[in-house]
Amino acid sequence: MDKVNMTLTQVVQMISELKEVFKFTEKIIPLLQDLVEFMRDIVPLLEEINERIEESTAKMPTASDKIDSVTSATEMATTEILDRVDNISNMLNEILNVLTALDETEKEKDKLFDEIISEIELNEKTKELVNKFKSYNHIETSIENIKEKINNINNETYNITLALQVQDITAQQLAAVNHLIVNVHEKLSKLINNIHSSHFDEEKKISTELDAPEKTTFDPNAEYDTSSSRQEEIDKLINSQKGSNDNDNNGFASQDEIDKLFSGE
Amino acid sequence: MDLKFLVVDDSVTMRRIVVNTLKNLGYNEIIEAEDGEDAFKKLQENPDVNFVITDWNMPKMTGLELTQAIRGDEKFANLPILMVTTRGVKEDIIQALKARVNNYVIKPFTPQVLQEKINQILESL
Repeated sequence: MDKVNMTLTQVVQMISELKEVFKFTEKIIPLLQDLVEFMRDIVPLLEEINERIEESTAKMPTASDKIDSVTSATEMATTEILDRVDNISNMLNEILNVLTALDETEKEKDKLFDEIISEIELNEKTKELVNKFKSYNHIETSIENIKEKINNINNETYNITLALQVQDITAQQLAAVNHLIVNVHEKLSKLINNIHSSHFDEEKKISTELDAPEKTTFDPNAEYDTSSSRQEEIDKLINSQKGSNDNDNNGFASQDEIDKLFSGE
Repeated sequence: MDLKFLVVDDSVTMRRIVVNTLKNLGYNEIIEAEDGEDAFKKLQENPDVNFVITDWNMPKMTGLELTQAIRGDEKFANLPILMVTTRGVKEDIIQALKARVNNYVIKPFTPQVLQEKINQILESL
């Protein structure tokens, strides 16, 4: 009898537990329905994101090529500017040579004129005329002025040449961006290929490698800074170890001194 | 002292600018190389080169590797080397000094700085 009672008690308990489970299920079912709906909404979104990533990844080689062609184009244009600047400079130097020759001829002419005058007996009127003639003779001064202006133009054209250093600096910055694109492309294409592999979608796999840019080394921190402060800092750093080192090592830093400098002592 | 320069830079633009600057400063004996490897080859062919101006970032062989190669070759071990580069962080300069460059110029450079560094190197020899 006791056994029967115990079993019945157990059955009642189990029914009670089952009731609780049903109650919980009633509560959880709407949540599960929400979750299913959420998944229904999110899956197309995820697929769209996946497609977008695939599209962007596919465009990366083009972006990388475009950066390379920008670098080539600026290098070509810079070379052309340098050619023109060299031509201008050569022509200015030719003008300077002509002016120098002209200046010498004028000086010779003046000397000759003075010699001729000294051979002639002048009256008051002719003396006055000679002086007047000489006072108009400013050609040497004019030549000097023109030469000075040409030298100024030459300096300015040379400053254009120096400013073209920007091409090398921007080329390094672009190479750094290209390097970044190549890395991102590699990571994304590996990710996409993994997704397609899990779906047995072999034909959708894409190449993980981009053609490496020709310029393999670059300075990602390259900047066009024309102030003298960076050079001054470098000079300070170099001089701090050179002072004590001029008499030995042929002017080079010893390992100890470099290590000391590096450790900031 | 008659100076014969070897200008090493993979950028055609920079090579021309350095060469033009040297010519403006009165130095006319200049040969050029487009990377460290080319430079080392040209050094063997032109043992009368007595001053090297090199960039750091170059394909095949960098300026730093070129410096190490020059210092490791007893024929050129004491050749003056001026590094002209965009790399301006302290660690880079230390690395260049460890490789035993004689001096260091940051790009963009001015002719005054280039002349000053050439003079400093020549005075220290």
